[in-house]
Amino acid sequence: MAVLELLHVSKIYGKGHTEVTALKPIRFSADKGELIAVIGPSGSGKSTFLTIAGGLQKPTGGSVFINGRDLTRLNEKKRALIRLREIGFILQSSHLVPYLTVDNQFRLLDRVKKRNMNKDEREKLLSDLGIRKLKKKYPADLSGGEKQRVAIAKALYTNPSLLLADEPTASLDSGRAFEVMSILSHETKEKNKATIVVTHDNRLIHYCDKVYTIVDGELTPLSGTDSADAET
Amino acid sequence: MFLAWNEIKSAKLRFSLIVGVLTLMSYLVFLLSGLANGMATLNREAVDQWRASAIILSQDASSSLAQSTVTLHDASGISGKQTAEIAQILATIRKSGTNHKESAVIMGVQKGQFIAPKVTEGRMFNRVNETVVADSLKANGLKLGDQLSISSSAQKLMIVGFTHNAEFNLSPVVYTSIAAVQKIKYGSADLSGKGLIGGIVVRDPNVDRIKVGSKLQVIPIESFIENIPGYTPEKITFEFMIYFLFVIVCVTIGIFLYVLTIHKTSIFGILKAQGISSGFLIRSVIAQTFLLAVFGVLAGFLFTVITGFFLPAAAPITLNYPILVFYGCIFILVAMIGSLFSVQTIVRIDPLKAIGG
Repeated sequence: MAVLELLHVSKIYGKGHTEVTALKPIRFSADKGELIAVIGPSGSGKSTFLTIAGGLQKPTGGSVFINGRDLTRLNEKKRALIRLREIGFILQSSHLVPYLTVDNQFRLLDRVKKRNMNKDEREKLLSDLGIRKLKKKYPADLSGGEKQRVAIAKALYTNPSLLLADEPTASLDSGRAFEVMSILSHETKEKNKATIVVTHDNRLIHYCDKVYTIVDGELTPLSGTDSADAET
Repeated sequence: MFLAWNEIKSAKLRFSLIVGVLTLMSYLVFLLSGLANGMATLNREAVDQWRASAIILSQDASSSLAQSTVTLHDASGISGKQTAEIAQILATIRKSGTNHKESAVIMGVQKGQFIAPKVTEGRMFNRVNETVVADSLKANGLKLGDQLSISSSAQKLMIVGFTHNAEFNLSPVVYTSIAAVQKIKYGSADLSGKGLIGGIVVRDPNVDRIKVGSKLQVIPIESFIENIPGYTPEKITFEFMIYFLFVIVCVTIGIFLYVLTIHKTSIFGILKAQGISSGFLIRSVIAQTFLLAVFGVLAGFLFTVITGFFLPAAAPITLNYPILVFYGCIFILVAMIGSLFSVQTIVRIDPLKAIGG
Protein backbone atom coordinates (compact mmCIF):
# COMPACT_ATOMS: atom_id res chain seq x y z
CA MET A 1 0.00 0.00 0.00
CA ALA A 2 1.27 3.45 -0.90
CA VAL A 3 2.10 5.76 2.01
CA LEU A 4 0.59 8.72 0.20
CA GLU A 5 -1.97 8.52 -2.57
CA LEU A 6 -3.72 11.42 -4.29
CA LEU A 7 -6.70 10.45 -6.45
CA HIS A 8 -8.18 13.00 -8.88
CA VAL A 9 -7.11 15.74 -6.52
CA SER A 10 -7.74 19.28 -7.73
CA LYS A 11 -7.79 22.70 -6.12
CA ILE A 12 -9.63 25.79 -7.26
CA TYR A 13 -9.40 29.09 -5.38
CA GLY A 14 -12.15 31.71 -5.64
CA LYS A 15 -15.34 31.69 -7.69
CA GLY A 16 -16.58 33.16 -10.98
CA HIS A 17 -14.24 35.79 -12.41
CA THR A 18 -11.67 35.38 -9.66
CA GLU A 19 -11.50 31.63 -10.09
CA VAL A 20 -7.94 30.29 -10.19
CA THR A 21 -7.09 26.67 -10.77
CA ALA A 22 -4.11 25.99 -8.56
CA LEU A 23 -4.05 22.27 -9.14
CA LYS A 24 -5.51 20.37 -12.08
CA PRO A 25 -6.85 16.90 -11.34
CA ILE A 26 -3.84 14.71 -10.59
CA ARG A 27 -2.98 11.21 -9.61
CA PHE A 28 0.06 10.71 -7.49
CA SER A 29 1.46 8.10 -5.13
CA ALA A 30 4.55 7.68 -2.98
CA ASP A 31 5.82 4.40 -1.58
CA LYS A 32 8.13 3.48 1.27
CA GLY A 33 11.80 4.14 0.56
CA GLU A 34 11.06 6.60 -2.25
CA LEU A 35 12.51 10.09 -2.46
CA ILE A 36 10.42 12.11 -4.89
CA ALA A 37 11.08 15.63 -6.12
CA VAL A 38 8.36 17.97 -7.33
CA ILE A 39 9.99 20.78 -9.27
CA GLY A 40 8.33 23.93 -10.42
CA PRO A 41 8.70 27.71 -10.51
CA SER A 42 7.02 29.85 -7.89
CA GLY A 43 3.28 30.13 -8.41
CA SER A 44 3.15 26.77 -10.13
CA GLY A 45 1.01 25.18 -7.43
CA LYS A 46 3.71 23.20 -5.70
CA SER A 47 2.93 24.62 -2.26
CA THR A 48 -0.75 23.85 -2.83
CA PHE A 49 0.25 20.31 -3.74
CA LEU A 50 2.36 19.94 -0.58
CA THR A 51 -0.20 21.42 1.81
CA ILE A 52 -2.97 19.21 0.41
CA ALA A 53 -0.72 16.15 0.67
CA GLY A 54 0.04 17.15 4.26
CA GLY A 55 -3.59 17.58 5.23
CA LEU A 56 -3.22 21.30 5.89
CA GLN A 57 -6.00 22.14 3.47
CA LYS A 58 -8.75 20.21 1.73
CA PRO A 59 -8.75 19.77 -2.04
CA THR A 60 -11.71 21.01 -4.10
CA GLY A 61 -12.16 17.53 -5.51
CA GLY A 62 -10.63 14.08 -5.13
CA SER A 63 -9.27 12.14 -2.19
CA VAL A 64 -5.99 12.12 -0.25
CA PHE A 65 -5.02 8.84 1.37
CA ILE A 66 -2.30 8.53 3.96
CA ASN A 67 -1.66 4.87 4.80
CA GLY A 68 -5.12 4.12 3.49
CA ARG A 69 -7.01 6.78 5.49
CA ASP A 70 -8.89 9.39 3.49
CA LEU A 71 -7.86 12.80 4.89
CA THR A 72 -10.63 14.63 3.05
CA ARG A 73 -13.21 12.88 5.21
CA LEU A 74 -11.63 13.95 8.50
CA ASN A 75 -12.14 17.14 10.50
CA GLU A 76 -9.24 19.45 11.42
CA LYS A 77 -8.75 17.85 14.82
CA LYS A 78 -8.34 14.37 13.35
CA ARG A 79 -6.15 15.65 10.52
CA ALA A 80 -3.92 17.31 13.13
CA LEU A 81 -3.56 13.93 14.79
CA ILE A 82 -2.60 12.30 11.47
CA ARG A 83 -0.06 15.07 10.87
CA LEU A 84 1.40 14.47 14.30
CA ARG A 85 1.60 10.70 13.92
CA GLU A 86 2.30 10.11 10.25
CA ILE A 87 3.87 13.21 8.73
CA GLY A 88 7.17 14.97 9.30
CA PHE A 89 7.33 18.51 7.92
CA ILE A 90 10.57 20.17 6.90
CA LEU A 91 9.88 23.76 5.99
CA GLN A 92 11.67 26.52 4.16
CA SER A 93 13.13 28.55 6.96
CA SER A 94 13.36 25.52 9.24
CA HIS A 95 10.81 27.03 11.66
CA LEU A 96 12.22 25.98 14.97
CA VAL A 97 10.60 27.35 18.15
CA PRO A 98 12.93 30.29 18.92
CA TYR A 99 12.81 29.99 22.70
CA LEU A 100 13.63 26.28 22.92
CA THR A 101 17.15 24.82 22.86
CA VAL A 102 17.79 22.10 20.30
CA ASP A 103 17.38 19.48 23.01
CA ASN A 104 14.08 21.00 24.16
CA GLN A 105 12.73 21.00 20.59
CA PHE A 106 12.73 17.22 20.91
CA ARG A 107 11.37 17.25 24.46
CA LEU A 108 8.42 19.29 23.24
CA LEU A 109 7.58 16.51 20.80
CA ASP A 110 7.82 13.99 23.64
CA ARG A 111 5.12 15.95 25.40
CA VAL A 112 2.64 15.83 22.54
CA LYS A 113 3.30 12.41 21.04
CA LYS A 114 4.19 8.96 22.27
CA ARG A 115 6.21 6.38 20.31
CA ASN A 116 8.91 8.86 19.38
CA MET A 117 12.48 7.62 19.12
CA ASN A 118 14.06 6.37 22.32
CA LYS A 119 17.17 7.97 23.75
CA ASP A 120 19.69 5.79 21.87
CA GLU A 121 17.92 6.26 18.55
CA ARG A 122 17.81 9.99 19.12
CA GLU A 123 21.50 10.18 19.94
CA LYS A 124 22.30 8.19 16.80
CA LEU A 125 20.09 10.47 14.69
CA LEU A 126 21.80 13.55 16.12
CA SER A 127 25.27 12.16 15.40
CA ASP A 128 24.22 11.03 11.89
CA LEU A 129 23.17 14.60 11.21
CA GLY A 130 26.22 16.03 12.97
CA ILE A 131 24.28 18.13 15.45
CA ARG A 132 25.01 16.35 18.74
CA LYS A 133 27.13 19.19 20.01
CA LEU A 134 24.38 21.75 19.39
CA LYS A 135 21.93 20.40 21.96
CA LYS A 136 22.21 23.30 24.38
CA LYS A 137 22.01 26.00 21.71
CA TYR A 138 19.06 28.18 20.74
CA PRO A 139 18.03 28.39 17.05
CA ALA A 140 19.32 31.97 16.86
CA ASP A 141 22.84 30.67 17.57
CA LEU A 142 22.76 28.13 14.71
CA SER A 143 23.85 28.60 11.11
CA GLY A 144 21.35 28.07 8.29
CA GLY A 145 22.65 24.58 7.57
CA GLU A 146 22.61 23.62 11.23
CA LYS A 147 19.03 24.85 11.60
CA GLN A 148 17.97 22.82 8.58
CA ARG A 149 19.62 19.69 9.95
CA VAL A 150 17.88 20.21 13.31
CA ALA A 151 14.60 20.62 11.44
CA ILE A 152 15.23 17.34 9.59
CA ALA A 153 16.07 15.59 12.85
CA LYS A 154 12.89 16.99 14.38
CA ALA A 155 10.81 15.72 11.46
CA LEU A 156 12.37 12.25 11.68
CA TYR A 157 12.20 12.10 15.47
CA THR A 158 8.49 11.35 15.58
CA ASN A 159 8.95 8.28 13.32
CA PRO A 160 6.60 9.53 10.58
CA SER A 161 5.89 7.39 7.54
CA LEU A 162 5.80 10.42 5.24
CA LEU A 163 8.30 13.29 5.07
CA LEU A 164 7.21 16.47 3.32
CA ALA A 165 9.94 19.01 2.61
CA ASP A 166 9.16 22.49 1.27
CA GLU A 167 12.28 24.04 -0.33
CA PRO A 168 14.53 22.45 2.31
CA THR A 169 17.64 23.90 0.63
CA ALA A 170 16.32 27.37 -0.14
CA SER A 171 18.52 29.33 2.22
CA LEU A 172 21.66 27.19 1.78
CA ASP A 173 24.73 27.36 -0.49
CA SER A 174 25.33 24.51 -2.93
CA GLY A 175 27.61 22.53 -0.63
CA ARG A 176 25.10 22.66 2.24
CA ALA A 177 22.19 22.01 -0.11
CA PHE A 178 23.76 18.81 -1.44
CA GLU A 179 24.60 17.75 2.10
CA VAL A 180 20.98 18.19 3.19
CA MET A 181 19.75 16.23 0.14
CA SER A 182 22.14 13.36 0.78
CA ILE A 183 20.98 13.23 4.41
CA LEU A 184 17.35 13.13 3.25
CA SER A 185 18.13 10.42 0.71
CA HIS A 186 20.02 8.36 3.27
CA GLU A 187 17.30 8.65 5.92
CA THR A 188 14.60 7.81 3.39
CA LYS A 189 16.30 4.54 2.47
CA GLU A 190 17.50 3.58 5.93
CA LYS A 191 14.25 4.34 7.80
CA ASN A 192 12.02 3.31 4.88
CA LYS A 193 10.08 6.58 4.62
CA ALA A 194 8.30 8.09 1.69
CA THR A 195 9.85 11.54 1.18
CA ILE A 196 8.58 14.30 -1.08
CA VAL A 197 10.73 17.35 -1.72
CA VAL A 198 9.11 20.38 -3.30
CA THR A 199 11.69 22.69 -4.83
CA HIS A 200 12.57 24.95 -7.73
CA ASP A 201 16.19 23.78 -7.64
CA ASN A 202 16.96 21.47 -10.59
CA ARG A 203 20.34 20.48 -9.17
CA LEU A 204 18.68 18.31 -6.55
CA ILE A 205 17.11 15.78 -8.90
CA HIS A 206 20.16 13.51 -8.87
CA TYR A 207 19.31 12.51 -5.33
CA CYS A 208 15.73 11.57 -6.16
CA ASP A 209 14.13 8.32 -7.26
CA LYS A 210 11.36 10.04 -9.16
CA VAL A 211 10.97 13.58 -10.39
CA TYR A 212 7.79 15.43 -11.29
CA THR A 213 7.47 18.88 -12.74
CA ILE A 214 4.58 21.12 -11.93
CA VAL A 215 3.64 24.01 -14.20
CA ASP A 216 0.41 26.00 -13.88
CA GLY A 217 -1.05 23.38 -11.60
CA GLU A 218 -0.33 20.49 -13.90
CA LEU A 219 1.79 17.69 -12.48
CA THR A 220 3.75 15.59 -15.00
CA PRO A 221 6.42 12.93 -14.54
CA LEU A 222 9.77 14.11 -15.88
CA SER A 223 11.00 11.95 -18.72
CA GLY A 224 14.58 10.73 -18.54
CA THR A 225 14.22 9.43 -15.01
CA ASP A 226 12.63 6.18 -14.01
CA SER A 227 9.46 8.04 -13.19
CA ALA A 228 7.31 6.17 -15.67
CA ASP A 229 6.18 3.74 -12.99
CA ALA A 230 4.70 6.62 -11.01
CA GLU A 231 1.52 6.09 -12.92
CA THR A 232 1.03 2.58 -11.60
CA MET B 1 4.04 24.36 31.36
CA PHE B 2 7.09 23.19 29.39
CA LEU B 3 6.70 25.71 26.57
CA ALA B 4 5.57 28.40 29.01
CA TRP B 5 8.51 28.02 31.37
CA ASN B 6 11.13 27.78 28.63
CA GLU B 7 9.78 30.91 27.00
CA ILE B 8 9.91 32.81 30.30
CA LYS B 9 13.51 31.69 30.78
CA SER B 10 14.56 32.82 27.33
CA ALA B 11 12.90 36.26 27.48
CA LYS B 12 13.63 37.29 31.04
CA LEU B 13 13.31 41.04 30.56
CA ARG B 14 9.92 40.88 28.83
CA PHE B 15 8.45 38.61 31.48
CA SER B 16 10.10 40.46 34.39
CA LEU B 17 8.24 43.57 33.28
CA ILE B 18 4.92 41.71 33.32
CA VAL B 19 5.70 40.18 36.71
CA GLY B 20 6.70 43.67 37.89
CA VAL B 21 3.30 45.09 36.97
CA LEU B 22 1.54 42.14 38.61
CA THR B 23 3.69 42.61 41.72
CA LEU B 24 2.68 46.26 42.05
CA MET B 25 -0.97 45.40 41.56
CA SER B 26 -0.95 42.55 44.07
CA TYR B 27 0.92 44.80 46.52
CA LEU B 28 -1.82 47.40 46.11
CA VAL B 29 -4.54 44.78 46.62
CA PHE B 30 -2.83 43.51 49.77
CA LEU B 31 -2.28 46.98 51.24
CA LEU B 32 -5.85 48.03 50.47
CA SER B 33 -7.13 44.90 52.15
CA GLY B 34 -4.86 45.68 55.12
CA LEU B 35 -6.18 49.23 55.22
CA ALA B 36 -9.81 48.08 54.98
CA ASN B 37 -9.15 45.58 57.72
CA GLY B 38 -7.34 48.16 59.86
CA MET B 39 -10.12 50.74 59.51
CA ALA B 40 -12.76 48.12 60.28
CA THR B 41 -10.82 47.08 63.37
CA LEU B 42 -10.58 50.67 64.62
CA ASN B 43 -14.31 50.95 64.19
CA ARG B 44 -15.39 47.76 65.86
CA GLU B 45 -12.74 46.13 68.02
CA ALA B 46 -14.17 47.35 71.33
CA VAL B 47 -17.52 45.82 70.38
CA ASP B 48 -15.80 42.59 69.26
CA GLN B 49 -14.26 42.34 72.74
CA TRP B 50 -17.74 42.03 74.24
CA ARG B 51 -18.48 38.85 72.25
CA ALA B 52 -22.10 39.95 72.47
CA SER B 53 -25.07 38.71 70.44
CA ALA B 54 -27.21 41.84 70.43
CA ILE B 55 -27.73 45.28 71.86
CA ILE B 56 -31.02 46.76 73.02
CA LEU B 57 -31.46 50.47 72.28
CA SER B 58 -34.39 52.86 72.31
CA GLN B 59 -36.61 52.61 69.23
CA ASP B 60 -35.97 56.20 68.13
CA ALA B 61 -32.17 55.98 68.32
CA SER B 62 -31.84 54.38 64.87
CA SER B 63 -29.17 51.91 65.97
CA SER B 64 -26.92 54.60 67.42
CA LEU B 65 -25.77 54.00 70.98
CA ALA B 66 -24.87 57.67 71.48
CA GLN B 67 -28.42 58.74 70.70
CA SER B 68 -30.19 56.04 72.66
CA THR B 69 -31.67 56.54 76.13
CA VAL B 70 -33.04 53.73 78.25
CA THR B 71 -34.03 53.94 81.91
CA LEU B 72 -32.34 51.65 84.40
CA HIS B 73 -35.83 50.40 85.27
CA ASP B 74 -36.46 49.25 81.69
CA ALA B 75 -32.98 47.73 81.60
CA SER B 76 -33.61 45.59 84.66
CA GLY B 77 -36.66 44.07 82.96
CA ILE B 78 -34.69 42.54 80.08
CA SER B 79 -34.52 38.75 80.10
CA GLY B 80 -31.43 37.24 78.55
CA LYS B 81 -28.70 34.84 79.55
CA GLN B 82 -26.21 37.64 80.24
CA THR B 83 -26.99 41.33 80.10
CA ALA B 84 -24.88 44.42 80.77
CA GLU B 85 -25.89 48.04 81.01
CA ILE B 86 -23.95 50.54 78.96
CA ALA B 87 -23.92 54.33 78.75
CA GLN B 88 -21.96 56.18 76.15
CA ILE B 89 -20.96 59.72 75.27
CA LEU B 90 -18.67 61.12 72.60
CA ALA B 91 -16.29 63.70 74.05
CA THR B 92 -13.00 65.42 73.63
CA ILE B 93 -10.52 64.56 76.34
CA ARG B 94 -7.53 66.61 77.38
CA LYS B 95 -4.69 65.69 79.67
CA SER B 96 -4.93 68.20 82.52
CA GLY B 97 -2.22 70.80 82.38
CA THR B 98 -1.61 70.33 78.66
CA ASN B 99 -3.33 71.42 75.49
CA HIS B 100 -3.22 68.04 73.82
CA LYS B 101 -6.78 67.08 72.86
CA GLU B 102 -8.08 63.79 71.62
CA SER B 103 -11.59 62.70 70.67
CA ALA B 104 -12.69 59.66 72.58
CA VAL B 105 -15.68 57.49 73.26
CA ILE B 106 -16.52 57.42 76.95
CA MET B 107 -18.31 54.22 77.90
CA GLY B 108 -19.94 53.69 81.23
CA VAL B 109 -20.08 50.05 82.30
CA GLN B 110 -20.81 48.12 85.49
CA LYS B 111 -17.81 46.55 87.14
CA GLY B 112 -18.07 42.75 87.00
CA GLN B 113 -20.39 42.61 83.99
CA PHE B 114 -19.11 40.93 80.82
CA ILE B 115 -18.47 44.15 78.87
CA ALA B 116 -16.19 45.55 81.57
CA PRO B 117 -12.67 46.03 80.13
CA LYS B 118 -9.94 43.47 80.78
CA VAL B 119 -7.26 45.52 82.48
CA THR B 120 -3.82 44.86 80.99
CA GLU B 121 -1.94 47.42 83.06
CA GLY B 122 -2.81 49.13 86.36
CA ARG B 123 -6.12 48.21 87.96
CA MET B 124 -9.89 48.43 87.46
CA PHE B 125 -11.69 51.70 88.31
CA ASN B 126 -13.30 51.74 91.78
CA ARG B 127 -14.51 55.29 92.25
CA VAL B 128 -16.61 57.59 90.12
CA ASN B 129 -13.61 59.69 89.04
CA GLU B 130 -11.43 56.78 87.90
CA THR B 131 -11.03 55.36 84.43
CA VAL B 132 -9.47 52.52 82.41
CA VAL B 133 -8.52 53.71 78.91
CA ALA B 134 -7.47 52.21 75.58
CA ASP B 135 -3.72 51.57 75.54
CA SER B 136 -3.49 53.25 72.12
CA LEU B 137 -3.63 56.51 74.10
CA LYS B 138 -0.18 55.70 75.49
CA ALA B 139 1.17 56.76 72.11
CA ASN B 140 -0.15 60.25 72.95
CA GLY B 141 1.88 60.36 76.13
CA LEU B 142 -0.87 59.36 78.58
CA LYS B 143 0.17 57.25 81.56
CA LEU B 144 -1.20 55.88 84.82
CA GLY B 145 -2.16 58.62 87.26
CA ASP B 146 -2.85 61.27 84.61
CA GLN B 147 -5.96 63.41 85.01
CA LEU B 148 -8.26 63.79 82.02
CA SER B 149 -10.45 66.83 81.51
CA ILE B 150 -13.64 66.19 79.60
CA SER B 151 -15.02 68.78 77.20
CA SER B 152 -18.16 70.58 78.34
CA SER B 153 -18.00 69.06 81.81
CA ALA B 154 -16.33 69.82 85.11
CA GLN B 155 -15.90 66.10 85.77
CA LYS B 156 -12.30 64.88 85.72
CA LEU B 157 -11.16 61.29 85.36
CA MET B 158 -7.92 59.75 86.61
CA ILE B 159 -6.33 56.97 84.59
CA VAL B 160 -5.91 53.92 86.84
CA GLY B 161 -5.60 51.25 84.15
CA PHE B 162 -5.11 50.47 80.47
CA THR B 163 -6.86 47.90 78.28
CA HIS B 164 -6.07 46.32 74.89
CA ASN B 165 -8.10 46.45 71.69
CA ALA B 166 -10.43 49.21 72.77
CA GLU B 167 -11.24 51.30 69.69
CA PHE B 168 -14.75 52.25 68.67
CA ASN B 169 -15.74 54.38 65.69
CA LEU B 170 -12.06 55.23 65.01
CA SER B 171 -11.66 56.62 68.55
CA PRO B 172 -10.10 55.20 71.69
CA VAL B 173 -12.53 54.09 74.39
CA VAL B 174 -12.39 55.54 77.89
CA TYR B 175 -14.09 53.12 80.28
CA THR B 176 -15.59 54.41 83.46
CA SER B 177 -18.61 53.85 85.67
CA ILE B 178 -22.18 54.52 84.56
CA ALA B 179 -22.49 57.13 87.30
CA ALA B 180 -19.51 59.04 85.90
CA VAL B 181 -21.01 59.09 82.39
CA GLN B 182 -24.32 60.33 83.83
CA LYS B 183 -22.46 63.11 85.63
CA ILE B 184 -20.71 64.15 82.42
CA LYS B 185 -23.87 63.93 80.34
CA TYR B 186 -26.57 65.20 82.72
CA GLY B 187 -24.60 66.93 85.48
CA SER B 188 -25.50 64.44 88.20
CA ALA B 189 -25.59 60.68 88.76
CA ASP B 190 -28.90 58.85 89.12
CA LEU B 191 -28.69 55.12 89.69
CA SER B 192 -32.38 54.74 90.62
CA GLY B 193 -34.94 53.21 88.25
CA LYS B 194 -35.41 56.61 86.56
CA GLY B 195 -31.67 56.98 85.84
CA LEU B 196 -30.78 57.06 82.15
CA ILE B 197 -28.28 54.86 80.32
CA GLY B 198 -27.64 54.22 76.60
CA GLY B 199 -28.63 50.59 76.19
CA ILE B 200 -28.24 46.99 77.23
CA VAL B 201 -25.72 44.59 75.72
CA VAL B 202 -26.95 40.98 75.57
CA ARG B 203 -24.98 37.77 75.30
CA ASP B 204 -27.48 35.02 74.52
CA PRO B 205 -27.56 32.51 71.63
CA ASN B 206 -31.36 32.86 71.36
CA VAL B 207 -31.66 36.57 70.77
CA ASP B 208 -34.96 36.08 68.93
CA ARG B 209 -36.71 35.06 72.14
CA ILE B 210 -35.94 38.29 73.99
CA LYS B 211 -39.09 40.35 74.42
CA VAL B 212 -38.83 44.10 74.87
CA GLY B 213 -41.35 46.91 75.24
CA SER B 214 -42.51 48.99 72.28
CA LYS B 215 -40.05 51.78 73.05
CA LEU B 216 -37.08 49.42 72.78
CA GLN B 217 -35.51 47.54 69.93
CA VAL B 218 -33.26 44.44 69.83
CA ILE B 219 -30.43 44.95 67.32
CA PRO B 220 -28.18 42.01 66.37
CA ILE B 221 -24.59 43.00 67.15
CA GLU B 222 -23.41 42.73 63.51
CA SER B 223 -26.08 45.15 62.32
CA PHE B 224 -25.20 47.46 65.25
CA ILE B 225 -21.60 47.47 63.95
CA GLU B 226 -22.72 48.08 60.38
CA ASN B 227 -24.54 51.16 61.65
CA ILE B 228 -21.48 52.67 63.30
CA PRO B 229 -21.20 56.03 61.48
CA GLY B 230 -18.91 55.65 58.45
CA TYR B 231 -18.29 51.93 58.94
CA THR B 232 -20.35 50.54 56.05
CA PRO B 233 -19.53 53.28 53.49
CA GLU B 234 -15.82 52.80 54.23
CA LYS B 235 -16.09 49.06 53.90
CA ILE B 236 -17.97 49.30 50.61
CA THR B 237 -15.44 51.81 49.25
CA PHE B 238 -12.49 49.57 50.03
CA GLU B 239 -14.22 46.48 48.69
CA PHE B 240 -15.12 48.32 45.52
CA MET B 241 -11.51 49.41 45.03
CA ILE B 242 -10.25 45.87 45.56
CA TYR B 243 -12.81 44.33 43.21
CA PHE B 244 -12.07 46.97 40.62
CA LEU B 245 -8.37 46.18 40.90
CA PHE B 246 -9.19 42.56 40.14
CA VAL B 247 -10.97 43.66 36.96
CA ILE B 248 -7.92 45.77 36.02
CA VAL B 249 -5.63 42.79 36.66
CA CYS B 250 -7.81 40.60 34.45
CA VAL B 251 -7.81 43.08 31.58
CA THR B 252 -4.11 44.00 31.91
CA ILE B 253 -2.85 40.44 31.85
CA GLY B 254 -5.37 39.75 29.09
CA ILE B 255 -3.80 42.48 26.96
CA PHE B 256 -0.23 41.37 27.71
CA LEU B 257 -0.92 37.75 26.85
CA TYR B 258 -2.94 38.71 23.81
CA VAL B 259 -0.08 40.79 22.42
CA LEU B 260 2.38 37.98 23.15
CA THR B 261 0.07 35.51 21.42
CA ILE B 262 -0.25 37.70 18.34
CA HIS B 263 3.53 37.97 18.38
CA LYS B 264 3.77 34.17 18.37
CA THR B 265 1.18 33.54 15.66
CA SER B 266 3.71 32.14 13.20
CA ILE B 267 5.34 29.85 15.78
CA PHE B 268 1.96 28.58 16.89
CA GLY B 269 1.02 28.09 13.23
CA ILE B 270 4.08 25.93 12.63
CA LEU B 271 3.37 23.90 15.75
CA LYS B 272 -0.21 23.41 14.60
CA ALA B 273 1.01 22.33 11.16
CA GLN B 274 3.11 19.72 12.90
CA GLY B 275 -0.08 18.45 14.46
CA ILE B 276 0.20 19.99 17.93
CA SER B 277 -3.35 20.72 19.06
CA SER B 278 -4.80 24.15 19.89
CA GLY B 279 -5.63 22.71 23.31
CA PHE B 280 -1.95 22.12 24.05
CA LEU B 281 -1.09 25.69 23.03
CA ILE B 282 -3.98 27.16 25.03
CA ARG B 283 -2.94 25.20 28.11
CA SER B 284 0.57 26.49 27.62
CA VAL B 285 -0.63 30.14 27.54
CA ILE B 286 -2.78 29.59 30.64
CA ALA B 287 0.11 27.86 32.41
CA GLN B 288 2.32 30.81 31.55
CA THR B 289 -0.19 33.24 33.04
CA PHE B 290 -0.38 31.07 36.13
CA LEU B 291 3.40 31.18 36.57
CA LEU B 292 3.55 34.96 36.02
CA ALA B 293 0.66 35.58 38.43
CA VAL B 294 2.18 33.32 41.09
CA PHE B 295 5.51 35.17 40.84
CA GLY B 296 3.70 38.53 40.97
CA VAL B 297 1.58 37.55 43.97
CA LEU B 298 4.52 36.07 45.89
CA ALA B 299 6.61 39.19 45.31
CA GLY B 300 3.67 41.44 46.25
CA PHE B 301 3.10 39.35 49.36
CA LEU B 302 6.76 39.62 50.32
CA PHE B 303 6.70 43.42 49.95
CA THR B 304 3.50 43.56 52.00
CA VAL B 305 5.05 41.53 54.83
CA ILE B 306 8.16 43.75 54.78
CA THR B 307 5.95 46.85 54.77
CA GLY B 308 4.07 45.38 57.75
CA PHE B 309 7.29 45.33 59.79
CA PHE B 310 8.08 48.96 59.13
CA LEU B 311 4.60 50.42 59.54
CA PRO B 312 4.28 53.11 62.20
CA ALA B 313 1.85 52.15 64.98
CA ALA B 314 -0.46 55.00 63.97
CA ALA B 315 -1.00 53.63 60.43
CA PRO B 316 -4.40 51.97 60.35
CA ILE B 317 -3.19 48.90 58.46
CA THR B 318 -3.80 45.49 59.93
CA LEU B 319 -2.59 42.57 57.83
CA ASN B 320 -4.82 39.55 58.12
CA TYR B 321 -2.80 36.76 56.51
CA PRO B 322 -5.65 34.32 55.76
CA ILE B 323 -7.46 37.16 53.93
CA LEU B 324 -4.26 38.05 52.03
CA VAL B 325 -3.86 34.42 50.95
CA PHE B 326 -7.49 34.39 49.84
CA TYR B 327 -7.04 37.60 47.81
CA GLY B 328 -3.79 36.19 46.40
CA CYS B 329 -5.67 33.13 45.09
CA ILE B 330 -8.39 35.33 43.58
CA PHE B 331 -5.66 37.44 41.98
CA ILE B 332 -4.12 34.38 40.30
CA LEU B 333 -7.55 33.20 39.23
CA VAL B 334 -8.59 36.50 37.59
CA ALA B 335 -5.21 36.70 35.84
CA MET B 336 -5.86 33.26 34.36
CA ILE B 337 -9.33 34.37 33.29
CA GLY B 338 -7.61 37.29 31.53
CA SER B 339 -5.46 34.88 29.54
CA LEU B 340 -8.62 33.36 28.07
CA PHE B 341 -8.89 36.40 25.77
CA SER B 342 -6.19 34.72 23.69
CA VAL B 343 -8.00 31.40 23.31
CA GLN B 344 -10.02 32.42 20.28
CA THR B 345 -6.90 33.81 18.59
CA ILE B 346 -5.04 30.55 19.05
CA VAL B 347 -7.96 28.48 17.78
CA ARG B 348 -8.19 30.70 14.69
CA ILE B 349 -4.51 30.46 13.76
CA ASP B 350 -4.38 28.74 10.36
CA PRO B 351 -1.35 26.46 10.05
CA LEU B 352 -1.58 26.87 6.28
CA LYS B 353 -0.81 30.60 6.52
CA ALA B 354 2.18 29.92 8.75
CA ILE B 355 3.68 27.72 6.10
CA GLY B 356 3.00 30.26 3.41
CA GLY B 357 0.94 27.94 1.23
